[in-house]
Amino acid sequence: MDLLPTPEQDEIVATVRTQLDRQFALNDLAAHDGADRAVDRDLWRRCADLGWFGLGLDEHLGGVGYTLVEEALLFAELGAHATPGPFLATVLAARLAATGGDAELAAAILAGDLLVALAEAEDVGAAVGSTVTGRFRVTDFGGADLFLVAGTDPAAGMAVVDAVAVTAEPSLDLLVPLGVVDLDGTAARVSATDTADLALRATVLLASQLAGSATATAEQSTAYAKDREQFGRPVGSFQAVKHRCADMAARADASTSLARYASLAVTDGRPDAPFHSHAAWTVAADAAIANAQVNVQNHGGIGFTWEHTAHRYVTRAQFLVRTFGDRTAHLAALLAEPAPA
Amino acid sequence: MNLDLTEDELAFRDEARTWLRDHLPTEERPPEGQEMRDFDLAWQRTLYDGGWAGISWPKEFGGRGLTDIQQMIWYEEFARANPPFTLNNSCTFVGNNHGGPTIIVNGTDEQKAAYLPPILRGEVVWCQGFSEPGAGSDLASLSTKGVIDGDELVVTGQKTWTSYAHVADLQELLVRTDLDAPKHKGISWVVCDMRTPGIEIREIRTMSHVTDFCEVFYDEVRIPLTNVVGGLNNGWRTAMSTLSFERGTAFMADQVELASTVERLIAEARERTDGRGRPLIADEEVARRLATARAEVDALKAMTITGISRTARTGVPGAEGSMVRFFHGELHQRVYQLALEIIGADALRLTPVDGDVWTGPYLQSFAYTIGGGTTDIQRNIVGERVLGLPRA
Repeated sequence: MDLLPTPEQDEIVATVRTQLDRQFALNDLAAHDGADRAVDRDLWRRCADLGWFGLGLDEHLGGVGYTLVEEALLFAELGAHATPGPFLATVLAARLAATGGDAELAAAILAGDLLVALAEAEDVGAAVGSTVTGRFRVTDFGGADLFLVAGTDPAAGMAVVDAVAVTAEPSLDLLVPLGVVDLDGTAARVSATDTADLALRATVLLASQLAGSATATAEQSTAYAKDREQFGRPVGSFQAVKHRCADMAARADASTSLARYASLAVTDGRPDAPFHSHAAWTVAADAAIANAQVNVQNHGGIGFTWEHTAHRYVTRAQFLVRTFGDRTAHLAALLAEPAPA
Repeated sequence: MNLDLTEDELAFRDEARTWLRDHLPTEERPPEGQEMRDFDLAWQRTLYDGGWAGISWPKEFGGRGLTDIQQMIWYEEFARANPPFTLNNSCTFVGNNHGGPTIIVNGTDEQKAAYLPPILRGEVVWCQGFSEPGAGSDLASLSTKGVIDGDELVVTGQKTWTSYAHVADLQELLVRTDLDAPKHKGISWVVCDMRTPGIEIREIRTMSHVTDFCEVFYDEVRIPLTNVVGGLNNGWRTAMSTLSFERGTAFMADQVELASTVERLIAEARERTDGRGRPLIADEEVARRLATARAEVDALKAMTITGISRTARTGVPGAEGSMVRFFHGELHQRVYQLALEIIGADALRLTPVDGDVWTGPYLQSFAYTIGGGTTDIQRNIVGERVLGLPRA
């Protein structure tokens, strides 16, 4: 039993981190604030070339052949860098296409040739199957070729459909373009009605991404508390600030540890995997939001400016905790599970 | 990264499960006095006879020499066996988890031979003499004096918050042996026989009605210099070696037990009904808070495994353990606060601290963010030693 990455996993993380620092620096991406897409096609293809969209997909399905554990490590880094772009929709759409028998579609998504936007049902009456009907909230819609569509219960159906025009709306996060679309009997390219496995993977990837966010904001606050001086000393020497940083570190450790545990439980096919996955999501969601919020406070006036990246983590966390189910849904699912043996 | 138990660990789990099924006492633990001491020592003796004493102690000192993972399995099996008492709530705790380990790390061969076997065999009760009325969180400012007179230390002063002093045989005692040295450098760690003339023990009544809390007064108490462990004036470092052990695995038992507690509380909320006959768990707020508690207890276990994984790489438990300590202490309190809300007017009926219902343990839960270093001190440790923030 071990919850620290192996040397090979550390290497994957280091590579991801280098690429994100180089290609996805938040202050460079600010040029895309308010645009209908945050990531252009070239950059998306470079991510594809690195194998990011099929990291946890079996080789015979066109993937890299690692597991959800490595995929979750990638998502932790995406969370830590507040990286914009439809990563989750792409990973899930590629898996849905590959396992649904459309190898060609899967290959085009994995290669970054087809861009996927996420479309989530806004009303419980939405129907998601071989045809799709209802009102959907769409993110990262600009230039999208496909929508990954999910109903209000993501475990009860997902589909990939051709993208159509979306009515743009003002977004809480200027790097997460937001719109709405009404679909009426749109034919799916590929679909499934029992998507419990896909939804569970999404839960773990989101937990990991949220834990990564909580870790990054904890580190940002700690670095600032060492650097920033007032009253002639670093503000991190004051107990009020120090204790907030300690709380942030504990939340980062709790959420990271449990997200890893859940990724292993799902990969191993353990019967208690849903329990740990919903628990991981819950702890990570609370950690990401709490840490992002207190991180602004720890930076004082500078943390309130647009120029500083602190607000990016606040708004991104709010998006992530409303992707594929919210806190109410995860808590209900967790309480419905039997206690682990 | 993996969740697998090795074949050895699986075999160990079966062995522990079988042994506990056959040997776990079924009677309640007496709440106080000589009967309590006899019960705790008898259980220690049962553990010893079964080969389960000193599970974290090295084999060369008579322990079981278990790995951290095996210890966790042992605690989990203990909790699963539905015991009528909690593992750490015992007058054998200090000997097993403080005094013994400190002597293993710092003691001479003679000290090891004299002190370690009786702890394992359940023949001796240890208590701790660290805190003083004027030295709590700032432990190093302690002022109980130890003056060298020939081959003896003459100790005068006062200790407090000493659990089980009234039933203890020996005490791990911190005294100031050099008044002129900087405060961390003039302290010695010494074994004090609690029956030495000049010692007076007074019980301190607590808010939870637990009666094992004491203060201890020393009036020219003569202790042989050979009882100093880890070197004269080196007591701070000697004591710290115990505390890093405490950050490792000593509280794992409490953490594992908390998972069972949350499941009991969920069962309680399913069985109890509100005024209209509706199960309490149908209340959305109750359900959300119970589910959140489940998630947080699960995170506690994962944090503990992460800590074990770190220790496996570095060889020593790091200061990260303090994160688990305050996360656990506060979660423990939240669980019992939630329990009191769920049981309604039954919260007005006092139950025993050791029991499996809620008001006694609720009152006792206040100790979880104070004892063994307050959560404020734990946060300082995390801030300074894990995050590298400057001292005040």
